[in-house]
Amino acid sequence: MRKQLGGIVMACILAAMVATAPAAMAGPGERYLHVRVEDAAKGESVNVNVPLSMAEKILPAVNKGNLHNGHVTIGSAEMNDVDIRALLDAVRTAPDNEFVTVKEKDQDLRIAKSNGNIVIHVRDGKKGGEKVDITVPMKVVDALLSNAKDNELDVSAAIRALSDAGDALLVTVEDATEHVRIWVDSKSASE
Amino acid sequence: MVLLGKVALGIVGTAVAGVGVLCSEGMIEVKVVERQPEVHHVYVIAPAMLVPIGMHFAPQRKLSHAAAQIRPWLPTIRAALEQLRESDDLTLVEVKEPGEHVRVAKQGGSIVVDVEDRDDTVHVSTPIRVISSTIEQLAASAPSI
Repeated sequence: MRKQLGGIVMACILAAMVATAPAAMAGPGERYLHVRVEDAAKGESVNVNVPLSMAEKILPAVNKGNLHNGHVTIGSAEMNDVDIRALLDAVRTAPDNEFVTVKEKDQDLRIAKSNGNIVIHVRDGKKGGEKVDITVPMKVVDALLSNAKDNELDVSAAIRALSDAGDALLVTVEDATEHVRIWVDSKSASE
Repeated sequence: MVLLGKVALGIVGTAVAGVGVLCSEGMIEVKVVERQPEVHHVYVIAPAMLVPIGMHFAPQRKLSHAAAQIRPWLPTIRAALEQLRESDDLTLVEVKEPGEHVRVAKQGGSIVVDVEDRDDTVHVSTPIRVISSTIEQLAASAPSI
């Protein structure tokens, strides 16, 4: 009886090992960037799913325009002489706070630093107006500035930081009919 | 009789080895169903190795032109294919419109493209390995600068 019981327990352990093997063999914590665009009026939808490790490896191989070796070069002319690095660095080192609040008749804008994220909210008060929410983890901002020269942003490092930052809803844009969503999670399919 | 058996064994062995080599790069699968104006079914499954072999018969002038165009993007394509090969199966792009559905996915070592609309259904599956070797062959045919 004891031998039979032992055999059953061993069989259960083996079955459990076989059942969990595929999950254990899957890539260690692969994360995916998802983009979903839906247009309810036209009945259209577009889904894009990109493994972040793939984006991280491909970016340094693209050398076109301002993008070289995973770094984006920002010309002073493009930024109207605003020092984007100094600006980001100032935000990075500042405590949680509301930086910009603009309230107009039909539009609200709010830029803040909150819980380790830069948060941007735009609300268009008109009927069917746009709602935009952008959340960027500060780790990503840190990475953008980390290894780059003065007039550069390190996009590869930012993607690496994004994959370490956990599940995150980065961008949502909504209006009367369209819905855009960009987020990062560990699921290969956008659901 | 014994000699005949040996010859037969040799022929069969060679044929099996040949098929094995041809199929070593996987298979390309093309399925097309036309619904309008008439219903047509086309189903082709061919050894992927035929593509690099077929490249040898393509006109050199046209290959050189294509190679020159692809050259700046070679590092990007190489990196993308390498990462695709290593990644889990996933749907890369999916577009749905009323009456139309397009899906590009990585599935079991192949890139699979499915297009479905009111008139046609198209399914193409190509092993990533053969895409890589074809790109490399195309790159090699570029005129040296």
